[in-house]
Parts: sequence; C-alpha cells; structure tokens
Amino acid sequence: MSKRIGRRAFMKGATSAFLGLATAPLVTGAESFAGKAEKGGVEYRSLGKTGLKVSTVGMGVMNCSDPAVLHRAFDLGVNFYDTARVYMRGRNETLLGWAFEGRRDKVIIQTKVVMSTNEKKNRATVEKSLKSLRTDYVDVLLAHSLKKPSQVCDPKLISFLQDMKKEGKARFTGFSSHSNMASLLKAAAKGGCHDVALVSYNFTHSNKLKEAIALAAKSGIAVVAMKTQAGGYKAAKMGGLTPHQAALKYVLMDRNVSTAVPGVKTIEEINQCAAVMGTLFSRRDANALQHYAGYLQGRICTMCGGCAGECPHGVNHTDILRVAVYHDGYEDDRLVREVLHETDLPAISKRCYECSSCAVTCRRGLDIRAQIQWVNRVLA
Amino acid sequence: MTRPNRMILMWLCVCLCVPGAVVSEALDMKALVPRETPDGWVTSGSPQVFTKESLFEHINGQADLFLQYGFEKSIFAVYRKDSGRETIDVDVYDMGDSVHAFGVFSRFRQDNHPAGIGLDSYLDDDYAIFYKGKYFVVLQADESNPSGLRRLAKTVESRIVDASPPPKEIMYFPKVGLKPGSIEYYPQGLMGRQFLGKGFKATYVPSENKASKENTGDEGPDSNLFIAVFDNTDELESALESFKEVLSNGKSARGANRALHGLKMVTGEDAYQGKIVIVHKGRYLAGTAGFKSKEVAEGLLADLMKKMD
Repeated sequence: MSKRIGRRAFMKGATSAFLGLATAPLVTGAESFAGKAEKGGVEYRSLGKTGLKVSTVGMGVMNCSDPAVLHRAFDLGVNFYDTARVYMRGRNETLLGWAFEGRRDKVIIQTKVVMSTNEKKNRATVEKSLKSLRTDYVDVLLAHSLKKPSQVCDPKLISFLQDMKKEGKARFTGFSSHSNMASLLKAAAKGGCHDVALVSYNFTHSNKLKEAIALAAKSGIAVVAMKTQAGGYKAAKMGGLTPHQAALKYVLMDRNVSTAVPGVKTIEEINQCAAVMGTLFSRRDANALQHYAGYLQGRICTMCGGCAGECPHGVNHTDILRVAVYHDGYEDDRLVREVLHETDLPAISKRCYECSSCAVTCRRGLDIRAQIQWVNRVLA
Repeated sequence: MTRPNRMILMWLCVCLCVPGAVVSEALDMKALVPRETPDGWVTSGSPQVFTKESLFEHINGQADLFLQYGFEKSIFAVYRKDSGRETIDVDVYDMGDSVHAFGVFSRFRQDNHPAGIGLDSYLDDDYAIFYKGKYFVVLQADESNPSGLRRLAKTVESRIVDASPPPKEIMYFPKVGLKPGSIEYYPQGLMGRQFLGKGFKATYVPSENKASKENTGDEGPDSNLFIAVFDNTDELESALESFKEVLSNGKSARGANRALHGLKMVTGEDAYQGKIVIVHKGRYLAGTAGFKSKEVAEGLLADLMKKMD
C-alpha cells in the first residue's frame, strides 16, 4: 500500500485536489429543502466534454431508503444522481423523480437501460424511465453493464443511443461496466462513441485500470466512479478508524475521475461523503487507507479460488477462510453456523492447526496460517 | 410385518419426526423450478444457481441490495412455450427468513396489485413477484402475459414448503388511512437514519392530504408511521438519544413529559421529515413523521401501540 500512495503521489494528488476546489455553495437558503443554506465548499469538475459541471461527490441512489436522504444530499451541494431502470424495477427512479420534482434543472440525473436486441423494447424502457423520473429527458443515459470490448462501440447500441439524443430523451450517453473495465475503457477511448463511462474504481484496483481511466479521460470521456468504498468493514471494528472518507478522497485524487457515486442509504452517510468535497487527501488519509488495505489484506479472503488444491494433504482449507470472513467481516455468525453444519470444520481446522508444513500461499497476501489459528481460537 | 410395510412405516416415522424447516432445507433449489409445468412451459437449458459470491454476475449492482436483505442463494430459469415464442424468466431467491423475503418484496412491489400468490404478491402485464416463507420470487415475461405469469407463479408457489408466517410487525400498522401496499421493511437505515437501523415503514394518506389532492392534484409529501426494531436495550437507548439530538437541533421541541397510551412520548421537528412523534415500547421505537395534524399522528400511533399489546 505504501507503494500505492507514496510521498510524490500524495503531494501530486493533494495539489490537484486543491486546485480543483470551488468554494461557492450550490444551494441557496431559498432553494434548500431544510430552509437554510449549508456552509462549506462544494467541489465541481467538468463531466468530460459535456459542458456539465458536476459535484465531485455524487450519489448512488440504488440503496437509498428515503427522500429525506436525497433532500439532504441536495442541500449539501450534491448535484449528480445515479440510478437505473432495473433497480427495483423503476421504483428507485420513482423515488428520485418524486424527490426532485420542481427542481429538475438543479440536478443531473444519470440512469441506465439494460440493452436487449429488441430496439422497441429498449425504447419502451427509456420511456418508462422518463415517466418514473417525472422528466422529459435524462442528463446521462447509459447502456447498463457492458462486459465485452466488442459491445462498447456496437453499431446498434451507438445508433440507439444517438437516437435517444436526437429525440431529446438523453442529453449525453455512455455505458457502465463492472468487469473487464480496463479493456472496455480502452475500446471506448479508441472508438470515441461515448460521453460517459461508469466503472468500479477504488484504492484496491490495479494501475492497469488507472491507466485506462486516464486514457478514456484524455479522449474526452467523463469517468464516473462507483464502488469507491471497497468493502463493508465497520469503523467500530477498526478501532474507530473511518476509512470510507479516505477511500472516497483517494478516488477523487485522480483528476481523471469526474465524479464518484458512492452508494448512500442514510443522512449520516451522505453527510460523511459530502464532507469529502473540498478537502485534501492528507497523510492521515493515506495512513488510514494503508491501515484499511492492511486490514483487508490480513482478513479478507476474496474466495478467488487461487489457492484451491494447494494443500498436499488434500485438506479443503477454503472453508476455514470462509468462516473467517463471515465471522469477522460480515459479523454474521448464522453463516458461520451454516458452514459448521455443512462441513466438519472443527476437524479440518484442527488438522490444519497441527500441521507444521503448510504449503498454501495466497496471491493477495492473506496470511493463511494466521487465519487458521484465528479460526481455531474462535471455534474453541 | 413384511419388508415393504416396514419400509413405509419407517418412511412415515421419518416424515413425522423431521421438522418442516428441515424438509424445506433439504429441498434442493432446483426442485422449485420444474422442468415442465402443467401449462406446457418448459425450461430452456439448465437452471442456474447463484450464491453470495456469484449473484453479481447475474444481476450486477443490484446484488448489493439483495445481500443487504440477507440473500443466501438463488436459482434462475428461463421458461419457453409455443416453440420459444413466449418466454418467462423466473428467479427464486432464498433470503434466509420471511422477514427479509418480505423486505425485498416490499422494495420491488410497484403498487398494490395483489394476485393471491404466496404471503403477498404483485402482478401486472409482464411482471409478477411474490414471497412465501423465506423465498422471494420474480417472474418476468417478454410480452404481456398476466395469465401465464399467474399460473407459472402458482406452480412455483406450490413447490415451496416453507410455511413461515409473515413478519408480525406488519399487522401492527392501523388500516385507516394506510396506503395499500405501502408497508416496507429495511434491514438498515430506516427512515434514512443510520441510528434507527432495521424496521418497518408505512405510508399514510390522511384526509388533509386527500383534500390537498382535490385542490392541487397533489397529495403532498408522504406521512409515515414507522417501527424500528432493536436487538437489545443499549442499541435502542442509544438510538433514542440520537433521535432526540436530531429533533432538538435548532432548538426544536424536545418533549418527554407527555404520555401516549401510557408511554413516554418524544416530539419534535426534523428538517427533512417534518413533525416527528416517537414512543418506546419493548424492543421497538415507533413513531410518526410528516403528519401535519398532531391529533392524527398521535391517534395512529396510539392505535399502533394497542395492536402491539
């Protein structure tokens, strides 16, 4: 981790973040939902070549439970909101549309359509989105979750997205992706057929993705980052450490990212996220992330399967790792009991514990021996 | 006793001794989606099973929502009829228990169009959802086909043996003024507040809002009744203190000297949710938010308290 956020990178990021700061609040007292203006700076960036100015902290609306959270976000200066037609089959769009009715021109709405081969169906889906969002247009319309580079500039997709623009249903278009993102971004940069790309991006990702994001940004594509928090460990479990703000700052330190859309459920969460705007990525944040990364590396098995079959004695140690994640990460002992029910874990764990020649190694640096010892203690 | 009779007797003993839940557990997910249905629907290819780790591959980012609601595993099958001209996609999600199955159902329900399937259901032209026991089921037709959806949903329902009742809390909400189909369960962040944690929320349309709709065409903002559920007293007391702090912010009211149904009542105003009334009973914090009329709010809350008795 120290390699990731070295002194040079830290200084460069901090300076860039500082230069990008705009201190004018977006919301005046008269426009505010709470009836009073918020103090503090809101940081804006250009959304690629669209000409739109977006708050660097946007909001992933999918898990939002209450319009009050959206109103709070608005009052804090957040102007970019991400949803999708498939989220609760339009109910998430309905929540967003209802929350900002009458203030449509003050917010930038991004939604997504799952593309089918039936153009009529795609068109109908967009119409439904507009109806739910209570608007005539969306600012950004994305093709939902592309997986292959060949899909990115597929003529049928591009033709449909262009039609949506021509018809005034979408101002700008693009795609979202959860996997194979670097390849997709490179294809998009080469093809020059998208305005916006929504990709998973956080401090655990490789330089390969970072470089692809830079390439896409250079070609004029606005990069919107999601899944910025990289995991769900609770602050209380980490000695009061709150790495989530640091994780968000880390993403925003990359000036090739226009805005980040952390998933937000509560007023407390949006307060925490929005507070990141206008702040610098500090040494303390770097330490927090380093600590967080270390914490994740030492504790989280991603169940990638890379170590399966490595035990020379044929012990299925992956169940032990699974128990560690369930107990410590998810804090769900019901899942632990389930594994115990499914397997003879105490016997496996004991056998592993007593073995002095563990040959299993983790490519992500997980200390498997330590995990086995820890699970043994838990089971005891 | 002959050997066949002995076998039957032993089988009966096993059936009587094994609790329903265990039988249900033993039922493989695949048994919930039959290869063929009496209506002539046939699965296309092998049904796919998804786990916590792989759900993302099937439903992308929405997997996060399911995981919050305790998702365990799911099965996905595509049914075809008439040489593939009609298709219906079926997803059966094991949500761990009926509270979470109801919860995720409540987030997907579009409105109040029940179809009499499972513990509660919703049906429209090309989409049907229901929950039964710990299972949440989604059926999506490629074209309008409500009768086909209903029959296929009934087929899947008949294969679910989990007879768990619905969450008891949904019965606590008074019926008068309740917007049909509006009760929802949140596993965290109830009312958009972290400190409230998990619980139920329902929307009410008081007569004052109905009058507003007649005049302006808009019912105005939602008025809600909510029940936050806590696992222990410490968490509950901490949440109550946090709530009082929110309500007292900006010198809003912070009353604890009036009683409702024999219970201490806290009232105040939240910048985003309007007037709030809260009472504490057992492991619950129940409250109202956004009602213009104090009398209406307190009346509903008193009714809710009575139902909790």
